[in-house]
Amino acid sequence: MRKIYLLALAGLILWLAQGTLARPPQTRLIGHERLVSVEPLPESGGEFCETAEPAGPETLMAALQQRQEGRQAAITARNAATEDRSKLKPVRWIHDPYAAYSSVAVDPMNNEVVLTDENLFQILVYDRTATTPASARLTEPKRIIAGLNTKIEFQCGLYIDPKTGNIYAVNNDTVDTLVIFDRNAKGNVPPTRELYTPHGTFGIAVDEAAEEMFLTLQHDSAMVVFRKYAQKDESPLRLLQGDATSLADPHGIALDTKNGWVFISNHGAVSSRSPRPDARPSRRAAQKQNWPLERAQAVPGSGRNLPPSIIVHGMKAQGNAPPLRVIQGPKTQFNWPTGLAIDEQRGELYVANDMGNSILVFNATDSGDVAPKRVIKGPKTNVANPTGVWVDLKNNELWVANFMNHSATVYPLNASGDVAPLRMIRSGPLNEASLGIGNPHPVAYDSKREQILVPN
Amino acid sequence: MHGLTYDEIHDEFTVPQQFAQAILTFAGGVDGETPPLRVIQGSNTRLEAPDRVAVDAVNNEIFVPEGDKILVFDRMGSGNVAPKRMLEGPDVGRGLDAVAIDPLNNLLIVGPGAGDRERGTHFLVFDRTASGNMKPKMTIRGPRALGGPFAVYPPRKLIFATNRPVDEALAGDDSYLGVWSYDKTTEGPPLWTIGGPKGIFQMPRGVALDVKNRSIIASDKRLNSVLTFHVPEVF
Repeated sequence: MRKIYLLALAGLILWLAQGTLARPPQTRLIGHERLVSVEPLPESGGEFCETAEPAGPETLMAALQQRQEGRQAAITARNAATEDRSKLKPVRWIHDPYAAYSSVAVDPMNNEVVLTDENLFQILVYDRTATTPASARLTEPKRIIAGLNTKIEFQCGLYIDPKTGNIYAVNNDTVDTLVIFDRNAKGNVPPTRELYTPHGTFGIAVDEAAEEMFLTLQHDSAMVVFRKYAQKDESPLRLLQGDATSLADPHGIALDTKNGWVFISNHGAVSSRSPRPDARPSRRAAQKQNWPLERAQAVPGSGRNLPPSIIVHGMKAQGNAPPLRVIQGPKTQFNWPTGLAIDEQRGELYVANDMGNSILVFNATDSGDVAPKRVIKGPKTNVANPTGVWVDLKNNELWVANFMNHSATVYPLNASGDVAPLRMIRSGPLNEASLGIGNPHPVAYDSKREQILVPN
Repeated sequence: MHGLTYDEIHDEFTVPQQFAQAILTFAGGVDGETPPLRVIQGSNTRLEAPDRVAVDAVNNEIFVPEGDKILVFDRMGSGNVAPKRMLEGPDVGRGLDAVAIDPLNNLLIVGPGAGDRERGTHFLVFDRTASGNMKPKMTIRGPRALGGPFAVYPPRKLIFATNRPVDEALAGDDSYLGVWSYDKTTEGPPLWTIGGPKGIFQMPRGVALDVKNRSIIASDKRLNSVLTFHVPEVF
């Protein structure tokens, strides 16, 4: 036992010496239990068993069989050795119990407002005029669509069919399926219709006259156009993708059908794509037309970070077409411009400016580095990391989905500055901030500050 | 963002940015809109879609798995820098999607993503300085479908990884956090299963260790949560 201990100690000293002498001078070695641990071996609890040498196999088959049996025995032994902590409860659980609204749409025909919830994976339907009193914890929705059968997860885009009230809800980057529900759907019900989409869809807009549905694709910096009633493995009608398009991590999308324009907001991170014969297409891509070049076709080293922008294309644009106009630059105040909405009557574009905690309003004809004509921002507005906007032309109202404070807020269409909302629907207590967790993947532990880092 | 690692020696954290093909390193403890200390990005980097990252703080290297290869950069590299070495080739194989470094035993542990669900998941163990087309030193056959970035505990040669349901399930009972040994080539179930199967996890993903408090921290996509388990017996 003492010999083993000394050997371990010698190894440790050798490792420390190698680490301190051989490394570049900027490396600082600090003693830490995370890297080094020397413990005496536990005392043996019983007698040692002598290993019996097996008799040599006489044939190859016997040898293989013997090896197989040995392997199986080892697996069985290890199975028995598994320490079962399957029912262990966590000592801490970081979780937001309330809905985090990510997108919003109004059904003016039925006087309802629909919100998606990226935290608890729900679609929530309220009366359009509902308001949560300051004394109330939250407002209960009229209907909730949620559960594993619904295929809802991290929903970020929403569209209401103006003819039927059917709900089109975009799953972002975990399901690759657009789900469509009947207007009256509720509970854990399967979608009425599904469309298998490219990876990382975010925004949705529909041209009702042409019966065409537009989707932005974050991961592939692209836009695809499907038939409005497309389902399952149907291919897109058109694809817009390529360096000339100025698409760069696109998010929100809005249509100006009067002028034939499509507006797309971009966060700015992008890499070039080029067909690569050695690249394996995703399962969804097989046999599809107008499918974007996926991450496997990324050109190595072509990545870049562009300033955030809103680009304007013609509604029939496809291929690697350049935009008609680009709104971009420091005057725009863009900081993760996300959800978009158009007021065709007044020719105005509304932008949910996520990290800017503001709603920006531009003329639909703006171009270049222009300041917004109106900004809704400030403590009275209750705007907090807005990701969704909707223009309700019937009632002259602007709706905002606030991701970081459990609220959806309503303003008059001409609102500007630090104005209080006309109404507010809350999914959680007033002034209780959302945790902001959305699709957590890796975690890291900052041992110096004893903090957990959670990227989304 | 699918990768994140904290370097406790230099008090920095590093993240990959898949869309812009970049590796960003920030000072520890920063808050708000803070520029990174260093960015690796550009035509010389060979970065394609960096999803995961590992930092060897002892030997000053950054490891980036790219599916069919592992790129190794100088930790202090910044700008349009070339990798200092690459691990790739038929003997290395494909499905190199997640990495962890064991500087104590000078090992590089590689795990696949969730792409190879038919054959199951295995961890490949290479020398830390492996380069070119090299065979792994050992193979650890573990979970059926790895759920995300994994962690290692070098003093006991342990891998901490999550197993998640397969076949496009959004959640399922086959979710757990498992602990495997990489002391030698093995095949079989984990040494420990935590939080499942049929436990609290629904779709677990990333793992981090809080060694001082003998705890394991894991994220769960379906729960949209981060959970901490106290398991002193594992450390």
